[in-house]
Amino acid sequence: MRVSLKWLSELIDVDLNVAALCDRLDMTGTKVEAVHATGAALDGVVVGQVLVKEPHPEADKLSYCTVDVGTDEPCSIVCGASNFKAGDKIPVALIGATLPNGMTIKRVKLRGLVSVGMMCSPTELAVGGDASGLLILPGDAPVGVPFGSYYGLSDTIIELEVTPNRPDCLSMAGVAREIGAVTGRPFRTPASVPDEDGTPAADLVSVRIEDPALCLRYTARIIRGVKVGPSPEWLVQRITAAGARPINNVVDVTNYILYELGQPLHAFDLATVGMAEGKSAIIVRTAREGERLTTLDGQERVLATDTLVIADPDGPVALAGVMGGEATEVSEKTVDVLLESACFDTSTTSRTSRRLGLISEASLRFERGVDPELATRAADRAAQLLAEVSGGTVAPGIVDVYPAPPVPLVLRLRGDRLREIVGAQIADDEAATILSALGMGLVPAEDGFDVTVPTFRPDVEREIDLIEEVVRVWGMERVPSTFPGGRERVGALTIAQRRDLVVGRALRAAGLDEHIGYAFADPRDMERLGWELGPDEVPVELINPMSEEQAVMRWTLAAGLLRVVSHNQRRGVSDVHIYELGNVFVTAAGRKQPKERLMAGGVLTGAWQRPAWNESARPLDFFDGKGAVEVLFAELGLDKVTFRASEHPWLQSGRSADVIVRGDVVGWIGEVAPQVLDAYGATGPVTLFELGVKPLGKAGNVERGYAEIPRYPAVNLDIALVVEESVTAGQLMQAMASAGGKLLDDVRLFDVYRDPDDASAEQRRLPVGKKSLAFSLSYRSNERTLTDEDVRPVHEKLVVKVCRATGGEIRG
Amino acid sequence: MGIAEELSALRSKALAAVEMADSLDTLESVRIAYLGKKGSLTAVLRGLGALSAEERPVVGQLSNEVRATVEAALADKRRSLQATARASRIAAEVVDVTLPGRVRMPGKSHVIHQVVDEIVETFVGLGYQVAEGPEVELDYYNFTALNHPPDHPARALQDTFYVRDLSGERAVVEGESDVLLRTHTSPVQVHIMETQKPPIYVLAPGKVFRRDVADPSHLPQFTQIEGLVVDEGITFGDLKGTLEHFVKRMFGEDRRVRLRPHFFPFTEPSAEVDVSCGICGGEGCRSCGGEGWLEILGCGMVDPKVFGHVGIDPERYTGFAFGMGAERIAALKYGIPDLRLFIEGDTRFLHQF
Repeated sequence: MRVSLKWLSELIDVDLNVAALCDRLDMTGTKVEAVHATGAALDGVVVGQVLVKEPHPEADKLSYCTVDVGTDEPCSIVCGASNFKAGDKIPVALIGATLPNGMTIKRVKLRGLVSVGMMCSPTELAVGGDASGLLILPGDAPVGVPFGSYYGLSDTIIELEVTPNRPDCLSMAGVAREIGAVTGRPFRTPASVPDEDGTPAADLVSVRIEDPALCLRYTARIIRGVKVGPSPEWLVQRITAAGARPINNVVDVTNYILYELGQPLHAFDLATVGMAEGKSAIIVRTAREGERLTTLDGQERVLATDTLVIADPDGPVALAGVMGGEATEVSEKTVDVLLESACFDTSTTSRTSRRLGLISEASLRFERGVDPELATRAADRAAQLLAEVSGGTVAPGIVDVYPAPPVPLVLRLRGDRLREIVGAQIADDEAATILSALGMGLVPAEDGFDVTVPTFRPDVEREIDLIEEVVRVWGMERVPSTFPGGRERVGALTIAQRRDLVVGRALRAAGLDEHIGYAFADPRDMERLGWELGPDEVPVELINPMSEEQAVMRWTLAAGLLRVVSHNQRRGVSDVHIYELGNVFVTAAGRKQPKERLMAGGVLTGAWQRPAWNESARPLDFFDGKGAVEVLFAELGLDKVTFRASEHPWLQSGRSADVIVRGDVVGWIGEVAPQVLDAYGATGPVTLFELGVKPLGKAGNVERGYAEIPRYPAVNLDIALVVEESVTAGQLMQAMASAGGKLLDDVRLFDVYRDPDDASAEQRRLPVGKKSLAFSLSYRSNERTLTDEDVRPVHEKLVVKVCRATGGEIRG
Repeated sequence: MGIAEELSALRSKALAAVEMADSLDTLESVRIAYLGKKGSLTAVLRGLGALSAEERPVVGQLSNEVRATVEAALADKRRSLQATARASRIAAEVVDVTLPGRVRMPGKSHVIHQVVDEIVETFVGLGYQVAEGPEVELDYYNFTALNHPPDHPARALQDTFYVRDLSGERAVVEGESDVLLRTHTSPVQVHIMETQKPPIYVLAPGKVFRRDVADPSHLPQFTQIEGLVVDEGITFGDLKGTLEHFVKRMFGEDRRVRLRPHFFPFTEPSAEVDVSCGICGGEGCRSCGGEGWLEILGCGMVDPKVFGHVGIDPERYTGFAFGMGAERIAALKYGIPDLRLFIEGDTRFLHQF
């Protein structure tokens, strides 16, 4: 809402400067978003008086003048106009002034005489259409004052953020009332009584409302014999300050009243409205199936059956509360005007305006709520103004259909309740003063007041709304700051929340940075990854996505993480090791809301760090990813985890595994398949993993018990086993664990050896197709120091069992 | 030469040999030569048995003295040689301490989660618990139960993401679906109040979604932190005190806080909370748009209509709620000019905080 302070000053005498006024409005709930000074375009134009006017010696059409512009020395100006004489007051643009047409005044020589300014015509100052001569000012115009302020062009516009609950502040009169209430100053409400003459309106027009729930009130006034043309300057200035464009005097008056009183009006060309029973007939109804209307913007619109229209017997002529129709528009040919001042239902207006993508000053007000009591007052004032500016005559009377005038709401405000809710000692009489200033009627009651709410405040419906009104005006800054005193509360995180924290902490300790990505995905990610959802599962589809790339909800963190790799690599960052903790979504036929699963995903590529003077940058691979995952499992207290070779389309065959906890697959890890890297524009090797956080948490044990620290030394024995390529380290370790008995404390794989592919027969140290894995085994007892004699038989038995189970041999 | 003279001579020789030794190895051979099993001093001592009963104590005492003197000299020399050896090793091991260390940086928590964690910590300290809710919500929880009228503009397709509903139900509100991506964390309030009896002190952080094109000051997905308190006797002053405490902890004790009346459908009275600009201190500068204040959260007393939806008696209980955007707070706190940095995953950004 744009508020011209000049206009406002006609409605209320504000005794605050602009900054203090803005501050007070901010602190009472009407935020000032911006303050502009207008009229600055005429900086450097002042009121001058022609002292001497002489003909230019070299040019017949020019005159050479001495002009007083309020400075010590009068200035010399060469002028081409002829409609003035010595002694006239005129606007003078001084050196350096820039006029609205873009011209900047400079010192010039015209036919040999120096001119240090320019006397201006109305067109040059953009204050009128007359270009034939200078703008001659009244004789009492003060010489030397800025023309803008003398002529009333200087103004300050404050832009208010009016919250949706305050439709009453969408007008100058409403803002004046609000300012009056928050500054304690009286305000004036504009009203007019029209001079009426001729045939009564009721004989010229009939109004029928079909559904009173959708149209609370409809009034019509008739103004006859208007002359449609440009509006007078003051009217143009007012509506321009409010943000509208001048159109013609009739439309400008309706806009003026909209801004002044907040009542949207519509002017029909009476001659174009269809008749019934000898009168122009207005019918307010919903549109019929298939009806169309060409609106003022020239667009033909197909109307839905719940659209409220103004119709005549032949069909719709306007969209109620939103926009008029082209066929009944006021034009230069219009002689008689039908002025509509009505009150339409908020939801209906809002639906129509949104469905048609038509937001107008009228629809904005109707969808928030226009006071039905305002309709006649606005119609009277508009009719009178219209008659004045267009030379028309107001037909006597108003046709007013008002099926069910609202009964004003009476609410009880309990003083104690006010103080309890606010937590401040606001006296009853302070509250009463505030509410009265806001236009409420008050009657004392035993525990407070009975408050009558005016119809222009549809937002005040309950006691709590009155409390809000009191506290915002009384001052939130005056409310003492306290803490809640509840006795029964304990602040703590749940076990699941602490587990999520552990997951993040572990992955960061493992060297991964946290990322938060979009929960959206591209449906084509399915194909890029070669992903298949579970049986019956489908991705969660957005009905109105921002783009095709974000048209569904992600079902895996993988695609987003790959995009991050590519985003970084494209910017020359090759070391990327990040994780994300976030929900993935899938749904299924018959489901309303999708399943949301919290996943921990990670991606690693490049190296942990750049190469340094004492370290090389080792490229990250599968085992760095696996290591990070193992850190996570250790921190979650998960020990029975197995990695089983598996195939996934988005992972490279032979370098991917499922992660299994207690027999359940809880996730996967692997290096990304080359075609998938290509699809995401990433360069490999890239290791990716994704784990379900909930199953991990369930199997893990963040709060585990104490395990005794070994008191006796271990006996360490190393063995190297030669096995077939197909035998995995996991199988060997499993075999050792089951053969080692109670004394085997730890098994550590410390070497994997294969003959090089190009080794000659003499160079070969192993049979073809075999590999050697070397393990360090620790034997330990909790009761005593073990001797060689204790360990040897156990170890020998283990070697035999492991060899038998895996087809291995001890490497000599 | 008597045995006493012999001992004396041995002592002199041994002490000279000890003195001459220039390494721990030669010192050890000196020790073996004199005091080893076959050492010359050992041999003399072994000969003591052959002495007469009168000579034995005298010579015995003397020989012990000689032995002790030699042992002490050996020990002294060993210490001195050890010190020399250590000193030369230390001299050889000097490094250039300005060479960079071997760094293995731990991963960084995302700056948004650092902000969220700090806020969570503050409120857990005030006795709050942490709650979560679904990111794909029902219209009822996101709007209806929070007192948004059916035609509220936020419900429009251009503002809220709607999700295809596969249940076969016809949506009441938007014609197509009443399943949506939550536009704020406030629906968690409703879930909490449906399942928990007062007193309620909860904080609910989480992702929220709005149909904004990603640009320096908007993201279609961001992070909100919601707070809700429902108890007997909760006042607007309690809300004000709580938020002042929070803002000062988050931004610094020297910052000023103001509550400015505002409107939200689910709180009454409602307010926006501003913190004084950290750059100009409230004078007004470019960074605060000349206002001197930066808006950081919205809050208010829980509207009785919201209590009505969840069956809490508004005459017995009152409460307050507040919500804030973590991205905005992080951007203000760290001076981050473009919100898109939060979500792009540039590791050079992630590493900074």
